[in-house]
Amino acid sequence: MTTMIRQLAACLVAMTLFSGIAAAAGATAPDNAYLYIGWPNDGEVLPANRPFRVWFGLRNMGVAPKGTPKPNTGHHHLLIDTDLPPLDQEIPSDRNHIHFGAGQTETMIELPPGTHTLQLLMGDDKHMPHNPPVYSRKITVYVK
Amino acid sequence: MLIRAVATVAMLMVFGGIAVSGERTPAPKDARVYIIWPPDGAVIRGGKLWVRMGIRNAGVAPKGVDMANVGHHHLLIDTDLPPFDQEIPSDRNHLHFGGGQTEARLEDLAPGEHTLQLLMGDHNHMPHDPPLYSEKITIIVPPY
Repeated sequence: MTTMIRQLAACLVAMTLFSGIAAAAGATAPDNAYLYIGWPNDGEVLPANRPFRVWFGLRNMGVAPKGTPKPNTGHHHLLIDTDLPPLDQEIPSDRNHIHFGAGQTETMIELPPGTHTLQLLMGDDKHMPHNPPVYSRKITVYVK
Repeated sequence: MLIRAVATVAMLMVFGGIAVSGERTPAPKDARVYIIWPPDGAVIRGGKLWVRMGIRNAGVAPKGVDMANVGHHHLLIDTDLPPFDQEIPSDRNHLHFGGGQTEARLEDLAPGEHTLQLLMGDHNHMPHDPPLYSEKITIIVPPY
């Protein structure tokens, strides 16, 4: 499923590139940038009614608050229960796409009982995904 | 020796009422800097590791970004905290992460015990007021 989404996303990016349509270009990211969710682990079972910490792991790239156009930096977005948004548009800002424009590198969240997915996506100074996009694996957590 | 001399000079200046550089960036009262990994006492075979740098209730920004409630990480290796009213030194024992990095790769730790500690610096590489620093931890690199 994730692979399919990734392929689809890659396809979209490729189509945009090859059709010569200048999509609003995101800032350049290092090829070896690595984004991951440090905690919780994939498959973690978390107690209901208790906020839990999510920490954002990032290698070979830096964090900067929104509006800071520095090379090789961006700010974290936590995607909750949703797939990756289009990678050539501003990342939405809503309950499913949480922005960390103040340069935060971890957060506390509380989710209702059930199965949830979490994924990280970096945005540049204008909230656009980078080129290439920097996103983590999507993980699943169980709140019981 | 040199550090002690510097500290003495700093203390003299503080107690003598001489304003050294005056304006240090205020830090949020509840901000906390900590080493996510490795844990205190960790045994690191081969002396190569990623140090994961954590901050709560404040954000990360590259050097030179003058915003409220942000700073950049400095990793102190085998040294004590420097004076808080001066720029954080930049040398083998004080690694700066002015690119907004939140992880540090260490590759040449010699066998033996080493200490690690984090200290945030503001846009001018000065510690905040109050200063934001982590506990100092010790890691052990066993003989090869």
